[in-house]
Amino acid sequence: MASTAERSALDVVGVPPRARRPRRRRFGHWRYLAIPTALLVVFFLAPMVLMVRMSLLRYPPSTFGGYSFVHYANVLTEPVYRRVAVTTFIIATSAQLLMLAVGIPLAYIMAFRAGRWELPLLLLLVLADELNPIVKIYAWRMLLGHDGILNWVLLRLHLVSEPVTWLLFGRFSVIITLATGWITYTTIPIYAAMKAIDPSLFDVADDLGAGWWTKARRILVPLAAPGIFIAMILVYIPMFTDFVTNNLVGGTNSYMLGNSVNDLILSTNNWGDGSALNFILLVLSVGLSLLAYRLARLHRIDV
Amino acid sequence: MAEAAGALRPVAIQNRIPARLRTRRRFGLGARVSFVLFALLVLYGPLILLAVFSFNRSEIISLPWSGFTTTYYHEALGNPDLRNSILNSTIVALIVAPLCVVIGTLMAFALTRFRFRSRGVMGGLVGAPLILPWLVIGIAALLFYAQIQRTFHVLQLSLRTVVATQVICTFPLVTAIVSAQLLRFERSQEEAAIDLGASRFQVFRYVIMPHITPAIAASAIFAFTWSFNNFEISYFTGGFQLLFPVWAYGTLRNAPNLPIINAISTIISAVQVILIVLAWWILRRRGGGAKAILGALSAEAEPTVTALTGAE
Repeated sequence: MASTAERSALDVVGVPPRARRPRRRRFGHWRYLAIPTALLVVFFLAPMVLMVRMSLLRYPPSTFGGYSFVHYANVLTEPVYRRVAVTTFIIATSAQLLMLAVGIPLAYIMAFRAGRWELPLLLLLVLADELNPIVKIYAWRMLLGHDGILNWVLLRLHLVSEPVTWLLFGRFSVIITLATGWITYTTIPIYAAMKAIDPSLFDVADDLGAGWWTKARRILVPLAAPGIFIAMILVYIPMFTDFVTNNLVGGTNSYMLGNSVNDLILSTNNWGDGSALNFILLVLSVGLSLLAYRLARLHRIDV
Repeated sequence: MAEAAGALRPVAIQNRIPARLRTRRRFGLGARVSFVLFALLVLYGPLILLAVFSFNRSEIISLPWSGFTTTYYHEALGNPDLRNSILNSTIVALIVAPLCVVIGTLMAFALTRFRFRSRGVMGGLVGAPLILPWLVIGIAALLFYAQIQRTFHVLQLSLRTVVATQVICTFPLVTAIVSAQLLRFERSQEEAAIDLGASRFQVFRYVIMPHITPAIAASAIFAFTWSFNNFEISYFTGGFQLLFPVWAYGTLRNAPNLPIINAISTIISAVQVILIVLAWWILRRRGGGAKAILGALSAEAEPTVTALTGAE
């Protein structure tokens, strides 16, 4: 019915019939997709495939020794890597928990309590992320060092009698630096999830006599869960592969998986083990992302 | 039961809520403000100190304060390696950002405007570089370029390889931001324009463009800073070409804290702060409003998720 009315109206206006509807072409999308896909295949998929091949060659990059799983066996059985994996897990998990402890309240304040400060706070968070990461790491190194500013202040206040050495070049500094470096990516997804919560829920909870802890536990965290899981995809996984932070502010007790890959490939030229470990990190990343993504979708609020 | 609840309620409200709200609000405000200030202090405190100490005369970066100087700025700007690295990083970012905007927007159109069978796969493919850590991508790219060099005896690690790999890592971000905006767009507006006889180009120019301009501008800025700040890709695929993050890393790795790094970091951070704040201000004034920017920012933070695969 509508279409005939529409047609007659269009005929009156004199619009040529071709212009009325976008033509449906079967492969129309490829005009848009062709270039991005070609680039992804050449510069993203091909390197990944090559990396897998390197990890399976016995003597990479040469093909003389044929293929074998020896590098995977090396990486998975060597106790050194197990220790490094445990260290990495401890560091990444502590940093993630620290970030959630700050990020959840911060996101809550931004989403519900900040009023006209909401956007400026968001801008400050984004700004902190857009500054150069090496500069941010360096700023902490300057602050925490043996002759650093924090130690000078502590000595001056007579809180300690000699400089505190565990502040820098150990797990403490790596965790602090990672946590401050990734806080934006933890807070913003949680904030975005919280924006979807109806604030009147809190009023209802107030009316029912709920305290802040009950409200946080029963309303805020469950409804912000999708954001928390997305934050984990964006933050937890990259922290597993970080090597820069440890190389600049870490020490021997904070040597992480990313350092292993970096050293295997660049220092010892062990391309087989390096590729194998790198591929394991890739599988880990994809697995964790899919898991977190599933959890995020399960917790999505469908109104 | 219903009667009982109705009878109880007003009493409960009168008795409890006003008093409780008053005390809690006052306490809550102080707690909230101090929490936010603490978070900002931890985020920005070290960077502000870094800037302050770039003016300290002492060679060692510590207190006590030993006098004001701008020597380190002259020294930093006179350092040829440093100048070269900043130039390189700027050139790379100036090439990468526009490329990413074009390629990322094309992909966003394809993913949001068409229904095709491989759409899920494509969404995954474009999301993968955002999910995978840059170390993994950087190492794979390094092996790839090395293999090409060995097999075909062409291609050396240079700024060109950095650009190629950075484009791959960065354009999915543009896709996420722009497609989030495209999904919010009413298709009927576009169809109305077509019904009224607008050409394809006119529809794009007068209907679609005004709607996605804020998202494209925001994504261009993010692409630029991502490229300029990107350490891993520059480090693995840059070969002998120094880029700023690689220079800073190399210098800090082999030397104690240096005042010239404070000086150059201060300059670069100041420029970045000015650019981002300016962009924010322009975006807020120019239509789209805060909502669009917010959308773009959350799209940055949740790349593949709502924007691509969750768009069903």
